[in-house]
Amino acid sequence: MAFQALTGTGIGLRSAHVDEMLATRPAIGWLEIHAENYMGGGPAPRALDRLRADYPISVHGVGLSLGSADGLEPDHLERLAGLVERLEPALVSEHLSWSIVGGTYLNHLLPLPYTDEALAIVSAHVARVQDRLRRRILVENPSGYLRLCHSTIPEAEFLAALVARTGCGLLCDVNNIHVTCVNLGGDPHEYLAALPAEAIGEIHLAGHAVNDADGQTILIDDHGSPVAEPVWRLYEHALACFGARPTLVEWDTDVPPLASLLGEAAQAARRLDAVAREEPDVHAA
Amino acid sequence: MSTLRELQHDLRAALLGAADEAATREIAADGLAPSARLAVYRHHVLTSLTAALETTFPVLVRLVDQRFFRYACDTYVRAEPPAGPCLFEYGATFADFLATFEPCRHLPYLADVARLEWAMNVALHAADATPLTTPAARALPSGTLETARLALHPSVTLLASPWPVDTLWRAHQPDGDGVVDLEAGAVHLQIWRLRDEVVLRALPPAGFAFRRGVARDGALPAAAAAAVDAEPGLDLAGLVREVLDDEVLVQC
Repeated sequence: MAFQALTGTGIGLRSAHVDEMLATRPAIGWLEIHAENYMGGGPAPRALDRLRADYPISVHGVGLSLGSADGLEPDHLERLAGLVERLEPALVSEHLSWSIVGGTYLNHLLPLPYTDEALAIVSAHVARVQDRLRRRILVENPSGYLRLCHSTIPEAEFLAALVARTGCGLLCDVNNIHVTCVNLGGDPHEYLAALPAEAIGEIHLAGHAVNDADGQTILIDDHGSPVAEPVWRLYEHALACFGARPTLVEWDTDVPPLASLLGEAAQAARRLDAVAREEPDVHAA
Repeated sequence: MSTLRELQHDLRAALLGAADEAATREIAADGLAPSARLAVYRHHVLTSLTAALETTFPVLVRLVDQRFFRYACDTYVRAEPPAGPCLFEYGATFADFLATFEPCRHLPYLADVARLEWAMNVALHAADATPLTTPAARALPSGTLETARLALHPSVTLLASPWPVDTLWRAHQPDGDGVVDLEAGAVHLQIWRLRDEVVLRALPPAGFAFRRGVARDGALPAAAAAAVDAEPGLDLAGLVREVLDDEVLVQC
């Protein structure tokens, strides 16, 4: 199963669903795991090994901190390399963000200033990860709640430059684009148009919360509800721009019954199938 | 303009403390105040790490109630944030923190309940290792076990407490009755993973001394001597059978 391409829709594997997945083996294209949840021993990795026999796996890291000025944590990169070697996943992805400074892990995908300095740092880290893993990784656009004053490069252009420098692919999180554009201003269609279509190896979909901050609406990317209607529309637009791409539905907080999550994935699959039928050669990562 | 490293240090200070000034100067004031934008991130950092601790210490949450637990976590997370991204490894020092946390000084058993829950977390996630089973030990040539280099399985924690923390833990399970005799006395506990299940077991002092001897000296004769010290006239062969049945030994 090593390095096979993914097609169709997948779901994020949550511990609450593992027993039901093992018992019922529902029809779903693939599973995505958070790398950091599988870096120990015991029953969780063993259950994943059983699921891996039936489903291709995508490994989604949240802890590499590609944007850390302090540099990558070598021990964590080694643990990720060990996991990737063991699981032989179809895809490996991480985020355009940082979470580690001065030996502290802040458990959040924190924003980078989009500058030449940050581009040089992230590019060097992506190149090092790809060298160590001996494969291309996908880098995901984050959700934004603030803009740093000295950013000089629009986020989508920053991602395009990262692709050009490192040969990495992109994980296009459509919900994050919607959230960022609402929170910080910006046109999501222009954002999509600025991404290099051929580099998009995966699309993420998820729900967000609508909160109030000092009388202003702010969207929070909490992965705790169904995909919102504007995000489905943006997804359709993304498929029109990029063609069919493996698509994941994430649901991480207030995790619903497995059937609900599979229902969300089926909604994505209908849209994806409509695009895939029009293409003689379905793109894959 | 600050460097990326300076910016990241400023943001850490703002996210874990109250010192917003340096960070807010870096944030564009478009529509919403920089401090309000920063608060979105701070809220996520503190609540997500608190949620991770709630997952690891569910009995503590029930013992002190969720509001107090979250109050304690807020102080702990700011003082001792995680060092790495695997959150099942976060909270190793929470028991020591609680032992000196002034608002729970009147609950002297709390830190040991935290140690017990941490041990269960360690047991669940510890590295896999092949234990020395009873059939495997029987298959060894005569005298091999006595001279073998031994260690405890990576999932094992030995916990001694002056409080009946095992009873406390059971009484505060979702179906527990919450009734505990705090005067019941000291306990010696072994917490480990046995065929994918986390197990909590109270040991007599000699059994505890034996296992601690294995951890310290890595050999059966020294462990046996420690057990006999704790209980002269002990059935040593019976104790070794019991330890093998627990599958807590590994051969180095």
